[in-house]
Amino acid sequence: MHRRRLLALLIVAAGLLAVVAPEAALAHGFGGRQTLPIPKWLFGWAAAVVLVASFVGLAVLWPKPRLERPAERRVAGIPQILDPLAGLIGVAIFVLVVYAGFAGNQTTTNNLVPTVVFYLFWVGLAIASPIFGDLFKALNPWRATARAVGWIGGRVSRGGLPTPMAYPTKLGRWPAAIGILAFAWVELVYPDRGDPSNLAVLALAYAAVQFVGMSLYGSETWNRYGDGFGVFYGMLARISPLRWAREGLFVRRPLSGLTTLDIVPGTVALLCVIIGTTSFDGFSAGPAWSTIVDGLIDFWRSVGFPQGTALELSMTVGLVVSVLIVAGLYRLGVLGMQSIDPRDTTPTNEVAGRFVHSLVPIGLAYVIAHYFSALGDEGQRIFYLISDPLGTGANIFGTSTATVDYTWIGANAIWYVQVAALVIGHVAGLVLAHDRALVSFRDGRTATRSQYWMLAVMIAFTSLGLWLLSAANS
Amino acid sequence: MTPPLAHVGHWAINLLYVAPLFIAVAVLGYQAMKDRRRLKREGDDVRSPPPPPAAS
Repeated sequence: MHRRRLLALLIVAAGLLAVVAPEAALAHGFGGRQTLPIPKWLFGWAAAVVLVASFVGLAVLWPKPRLERPAERRVAGIPQILDPLAGLIGVAIFVLVVYAGFAGNQTTTNNLVPTVVFYLFWVGLAIASPIFGDLFKALNPWRATARAVGWIGGRVSRGGLPTPMAYPTKLGRWPAAIGILAFAWVELVYPDRGDPSNLAVLALAYAAVQFVGMSLYGSETWNRYGDGFGVFYGMLARISPLRWAREGLFVRRPLSGLTTLDIVPGTVALLCVIIGTTSFDGFSAGPAWSTIVDGLIDFWRSVGFPQGTALELSMTVGLVVSVLIVAGLYRLGVLGMQSIDPRDTTPTNEVAGRFVHSLVPIGLAYVIAHYFSALGDEGQRIFYLISDPLGTGANIFGTSTATVDYTWIGANAIWYVQVAALVIGHVAGLVLAHDRALVSFRDGRTATRSQYWMLAVMIAFTSLGLWLLSAANS
Repeated sequence: MTPPLAHVGHWAINLLYVAPLFIAVAVLGYQAMKDRRRLKREGDDVRSPPPPPAAS
């Protein structure tokens, strides 16, 4: 009776807040173009309910690991010419982008470079990889160049090329994490990010680092651990039911590819960088950040920095703190998991690595939720840029007069896609963590208990994601 | 100075986003505590089995 009364009270309180909340928002001019049937925060509650229901469903209906030993089936052969051909296309695109950056019109919207780098490459490939598999590995211009140089060098030199050095275990995926953090800094903080020639210089600098890494440790090893984009798209491709290999095209259960992700240092850092920087992108567009950033700018100015540098430093601090908060949340979940079985003396870092693959679909969810509408809007520029890549008035394919249609999707539809991406991503994360717990803990009951904490982490990330999106849209 | 209560609506809405997390942590924490007590009880039972009935 007491519980029923409490439940009734909670429902009444939620109802009252639902009525009051939109009024409060409208009083300050909020509301935007979205006309949602319920307040946005209720979506957060609904998402939490879905996660709890999924957790209970997994505990009851998923008693044995199903993804840990991924079975795959070869469905088609792949012509040997496809790999070098795809590499050649990748190199051609890279050369065109760099050339357009230097030789083309320096206006952001009239040059191919910003659209290709920030929308088609960064967001487009991130969304395509979990569907079609590791496309970037085939198109990777740096890997293709290194392989071509290696092939030619092996034939020209008498004793063959020297064997690459052994990759330091401690380095793990740290170079990739640093590379993606640097890219995120350029995307979110660097004031000249829209300048095509600057982007071309940065692309060449990134390529140079990749060539040094590949020449030291070999192209495949560097692609797997050192190249930020190669590692990130490679991880996302493990969600895909498709795996492309020299031996052919293989089909497997979606998500199962993630269970074979090798646990090396820097993997947790890389995923926290993805989630944290995307979170900061949303947070920095909201009202809470504008209050914080004013204080930070004042501080940097008080120690002698000019206004522009003070803003960059403040944004950099925000970016790094966002990554640290995400890392802290995950760490809390792992520590909670460890507390379930006091007899388990596995080091915390090892447990963190064991469950890190569950963060991959969350990283994807954050990227989709934050950037898919930008890809749909700004990505349309490619239709006119493909005819006029340098912005010089050319009309190669007759599409140079194409325009951007910002009404291709409504504000409500964007919100629903964002919510769906976050919920599906976090449920996928729960599934992966539950499956791994079943092989990591001594029995099903302990495995389920260990996942209480992962459930809390997933609810935290979902609530955070929805709050950031609602703040950015307000 | 703007009275802080003028912005209470915004803060209330922000808190509403965090509420599911607080509720989940509270419920899961309670459940975890119950589990730990039960396991401890079961462990005690295994370690100290009840004394055999005295011979009559």
